[in-house]
Amino acid sequence: MGDHCEQTMRKLSVYIDRELSDAEVRSVKAHLDDCPPCEKVFDFQAEMKRLVRKECCTDDAPARLRDWVRQLAAEKPSARDREA
Amino acid sequence: MDSDFSLFERHVDALYRSALRLTRKPEDAEDLVQETYLRAYRYRNRFKPGTNEKAWLFTIMTNVFRNRLRQRPAPTEPLDQPGTDFSIYDQLRREGMPVHLMSPEEIIVERGFGDEVKRALEELPLPMRMVVVLVDVEDFSYKEVASILGIKIGTVMSRLHRGRQALQKKLWEYSGRPKARPVAVGAH
Ligand SMILES: [Zn+2]
Repeated sequence: MGDHCEQTMRKLSVYIDRELSDAEVRSVKAHLDDCPPCEKVFDFQAEMKRLVRKECCTDDAPARLRDWVRQLAAEKPSARDREA
Repeated sequence: MDSDFSLFERHVDALYRSALRLTRKPEDAEDLVQETYLRAYRYRNRFKPGTNEKAWLFTIMTNVFRNRLRQRPAPTEPLDQPGTDFSIYDQLRREGMPVHLMSPEEIIVERGFGDEVKRALEELPLPMRMVVVLVDVEDFSYKEVASILGIKIGTVMSRLHRGRQALQKKLWEYSGRPKARPVAVGAH
């Protein structure tokens, strides 16, 4: 594994999170375009991130909780404030 | 002036699914979200219109959650643990799986890594679990997560790094267990 590969691997998760500077993004991207083994690792880690999101997004709030929040949002400000 | 509280309503699913990952119990998650909204309602005038209301709600929720945990610690919470250098991809490559010929989706389906993501996440120690949920599920930036949890960006990054490795390690361990397989029809 070359120096470039190691540098890219170190920055990979931050790159996937879109938190690198523009200059760093360009250098990581250039390396990934050029280096199929690193690109495969990138593809896999990016898919793992999507997987976590996808699996966790299946739990929606129960209807009664949603209704409760809607009522709270519709409430006149004064009533709750006195209570608090 | 009052900010329009209905602006906060749309985040109920996000708050609930994250509350579920934190508390691991539907009743507790629902209760946590209710208290979060009650506080948000009470302090709604402190919210600056035009700023990120989702981050504001999550700040309230993580504070409420941490206070509760302090008052009655959950006996089954996993303890924080040092990082382990672990990656499923490297592990498969070491095993000789032809990962370079497969798409990530194929690898994940083939080994069933997707089956127990929620359980694996819920078994992570809380500091890591919170960061992974906020970044990977809720799509907050490192800076937003640092502000929500009141920690440094460097801490966000190191917890995230350790959290993801620990998560992959758990998924790896689960997938290694023998699974009940459907019996092949017509095989003699
Ligand atoms: Zn490379």
